[in-house]
Amino acid sequence: MTKWGMVIDLDKCTGCQACTTACAMENNTLPGENWQDVLYYSEGSYPTAKLTWLPRPCMQCENPSCVAVCPTKATYKDMDAGGIVFVDWNKCIGCKYCMIACPYGVRFYADEKPVVEPDVRDVFPGEGQLHAPPYQGPDSDSVRGIGIQPKGVVSKCTFCYHKVSKAPEGVADLDEDNPETKEFTPACVRTCPPKARYFGDLDNPESEVNRLIADQRGVRLKDHTGNRPQVYYLGSGADVPAYQSPKKT
Amino acid sequence: MHAIYGDTGNPIANGKLCPKGHLGTYFLYDPDRFKGPMRRTNPNKGRNEDPGFVPISWDEALDIVADRLNDLRDRGESHRFAHFYGRGWGPTDAGLYGDWGRLYGTPNSAIGHSSMCADGSKRAKQATDGNNSYNSYDYANTNYILNFGASFLEAFRPYNYLMQMWGKMRSKSPQTRITSIDVRMSPTMAASDRAVYIKPGTDAAMALAVAHVILTEGLWDREFVGDFTDGRNHFVTGEDISAATQVAVTDEETGEVTIQAAEGSGFVDLWTHGMVRWWNEELKDRTPEWAESITDVPASTIRAVAREFGTTRPAMALFERGPTSHSNGTYAGMAIHALNALVGSLYAEKGGLFYQMGPSYGGLPVSAADYMDDWAQNGAWKEQPRIDKAKTAEWPMVDSMMQEAGPNHLKGDPYKLDTAMFYYTNPIWSAPNPQVWEEALKDVFIIDTSPFPGETAMYADIILPDHTYLERWQDSPTYPFEGWPMTALRVPAVDPIHDTKHFGDTLIEIGKRINGPMGEYYREIDNVENILRHLAKGFEDNPGDNGVNSFESWAEKGVWYKKPYHWHHRRGTFYEWDGEGYNTQMTPDEVKAKLLKTPSGKFEFVSGYLENHADYIERELGVPADRAGLIQWVAPVHSGGGDDLFLVSPKTPLHAEGRSGNIPHGIANHQPIVGGKNTVYLEIHPETARDRGIRDGDRVRMTSAVGSIEAYCRFMPGHRRDTIVLPMEHGHWAQGRWAKGRLPGHSGDVTPNVSDPISGLASYYTGKVKLERV
Repeated sequence: MTKWGMVIDLDKCTGCQACTTACAMENNTLPGENWQDVLYYSEGSYPTAKLTWLPRPCMQCENPSCVAVCPTKATYKDMDAGGIVFVDWNKCIGCKYCMIACPYGVRFYADEKPVVEPDVRDVFPGEGQLHAPPYQGPDSDSVRGIGIQPKGVVSKCTFCYHKVSKAPEGVADLDEDNPETKEFTPACVRTCPPKARYFGDLDNPESEVNRLIADQRGVRLKDHTGNRPQVYYLGSGADVPAYQSPKKT
Repeated sequence: MHAIYGDTGNPIANGKLCPKGHLGTYFLYDPDRFKGPMRRTNPNKGRNEDPGFVPISWDEALDIVADRLNDLRDRGESHRFAHFYGRGWGPTDAGLYGDWGRLYGTPNSAIGHSSMCADGSKRAKQATDGNNSYNSYDYANTNYILNFGASFLEAFRPYNYLMQMWGKMRSKSPQTRITSIDVRMSPTMAASDRAVYIKPGTDAAMALAVAHVILTEGLWDREFVGDFTDGRNHFVTGEDISAATQVAVTDEETGEVTIQAAEGSGFVDLWTHGMVRWWNEELKDRTPEWAESITDVPASTIRAVAREFGTTRPAMALFERGPTSHSNGTYAGMAIHALNALVGSLYAEKGGLFYQMGPSYGGLPVSAADYMDDWAQNGAWKEQPRIDKAKTAEWPMVDSMMQEAGPNHLKGDPYKLDTAMFYYTNPIWSAPNPQVWEEALKDVFIIDTSPFPGETAMYADIILPDHTYLERWQDSPTYPFEGWPMTALRVPAVDPIHDTKHFGDTLIEIGKRINGPMGEYYREIDNVENILRHLAKGFEDNPGDNGVNSFESWAEKGVWYKKPYHWHHRRGTFYEWDGEGYNTQMTPDEVKAKLLKTPSGKFEFVSGYLENHADYIERELGVPADRAGLIQWVAPVHSGGGDDLFLVSPKTPLHAEGRSGNIPHGIANHQPIVGGKNTVYLEIHPETARDRGIRDGDRVRMTSAVGSIEAYCRFMPGHRRDTIVLPMEHGHWAQGRWAKGRLPGHSGDVTPNVSDPISGLASYYTGKVKLERV
């Protein structure tokens, strides 16, 4: 059975955020509703400062914390859909329990005060959905949290299931450089200019994603939680620093 | 339109896009766009004045403009009309300016933005290898990059392609080693193998010290540079070398007499010129220890970098605005570029740098020379200088001086403009010290062509809005990248969603309305599509590698290109492509004509180009006239007097040359390093802040001689303590509902208008400011 996974090579990633803007474009998210995000960390000081960054999609965990806590079973892992974790907007009550439970912070509640004002929702107001811009995409599936969400629900990365679901059966990898699979490749993977992102079947021992994880010793982030993400990281410094509260003085 | 992805068939995109490319739909559907032509009803102009625009028809608008231009020409004052432009691409937009100016009778067609862009690097290359151009590079095969101040992973060009090359360079065997040198921490510095912090404006000192080490340790490329006749290394710190004397040698068998270098310890230049003078009069004392005292870079680091760079082949040294945006900028660029000559990477067979070939376009249907009336050929306008005084005795070596045009008009020196038309440029906001332009343009009749209500539009009398790039036909000959010629064709993705007009068509329509033969010329040209069809005729006999040989196939594939680049140098000889291989040996005269276009036909360590302007250089920079040609250390002169902090305004990957200010998805992701989502923070070292009683997140004020701006600050311990960093984006007072009024203030407002006298490049990065808590 297909198990969709992603590999991100931090030694190649240039921190440009093309993945973030491609995702926003593809999924019509609001400014700052970064289903795919790039997190920056810095430590040390001149002249020996360290700056690192981490592209962060939803981890589509094998043992998702979000699914475990959802009171209405709105969020669910679909093994027939490559193991992607979805949010059913018809069942979600917006309690945000999943957002608190997620160790990786990948879930969004976009009803809040806008990140950038004036509010885009006032410029392109929608009925039954948060906003209705002229650049809205054609794909919509509220059971899988695809499209623009209604008020009062949580949203997150879907591994571009509206594209991925159309891929030929049994294909080992979705590669943007292969004309047969280009159109089914998730937006963030497709656009990455240094080719730092890969997408393929983790259940296929011969897939490129498995070869990369094996050859370059790919890691899962926060593995101690036992969530077992389906997103693997390659390269030096593949980890997330512990939280430090900002010093004001 | 929903989504935009990179074109798989385009050799720069290769199916990829940088983060800005995906913001294009927001650009297209920007709710603040002009819906059609506009006419101003409020005669007063200023930052807080509402133009009082009323919509008019295209015919009305074009007639108003043409009537004014005809009247100006009839009064014999056509020189008082100016075109200003920024991001022009080719023959269907900015390429129209040259003929327009010759036909109409103005020296100001057009005033380009390059002096506010990156002219410093072009001039440094012209002064050393004779090419007034940016370089093309073979990144995929290079094994070392020594990067002086380029934000390679943020704003270098072509950005999308460079990130692809980064992925290749970091994956290939052997992995390309990258050393970056900059005044601040940045993603480029962080991702490099070695990050070297340097004091602003001192890059030349490090480059000269690197050159010194390369020579004293025998690491230079002898087949390009030359050698001592005895094959021994006589480069010793502090000691002169001598040139090899030339002697006549008679061949005993044939009796043939040749001129050769005498035996001994003299140096023989091969493809370089002036090594002996350069070493003796400048380089011999430029040690790493000397450079450390100027740059803050430890001598041991300089030495290690020089050894790495000198022992890795192929290796390239690159730069653009960073080191050249200072009073000593051209000399700094020359010092860095000289490193490429020393290690033989200029025109190298692989992994080096060279220049860019142009596309084989067909000609226009008519020639402007056949449509020039008496005024065009002999009018008094020909005696007039440009409004920016470029190429006069004040600025003899520059291509343009746009930053001077506004101030010159205000002073009425050389004259006052009557009418000005702007395309893809906004100096009333983006020029250094733009407050002067806000005063200057009050009495000029302004025509703006931007689709967006920017600052120039707020001063405009007539708006002739262009399509966005997604709605127009437009050729774009490539920015230099791999050298072989390429030109893309933008094909409209949607029909125009508003009543806008292609800038090229606007210019042609105005031209048709000018009295006399100029009108006839433009009636023959007719429109942009006609021009494109004529350009494409050039592909019939020279089809592209992807089969493009006509207008239709060019539109279908979106790009014409033809590999390979035609020249390289290997083992001391230059070769030209003969259709099958690099087999044609080039004579020195051919090399001089096509590749090393200097007076000597070689790469010049002593620049003949600068020697021709020695008196000017002595007057403006204080460099003694007899030393003017030497690649040398010149101390920078920083603006700001007693103010103590360097202010730099770099571009992040989300910054689209000033056109990204009104895109909320861009604003939200603009400055991830310190979390700048709703504003852009001033990045400051914590100790620098504490010394001034400033806390993390405080509102602060930066003040220089020309103005002051405010921002919120964030601590960034990774920066130098004497340098504060304000990424350039916000501070607009127009440009749309998201851009207008967004903090921080605009960095230009505290940037004095000073320029490198040689290249004319506005010294954006050389200013110092005072900083205090608000």
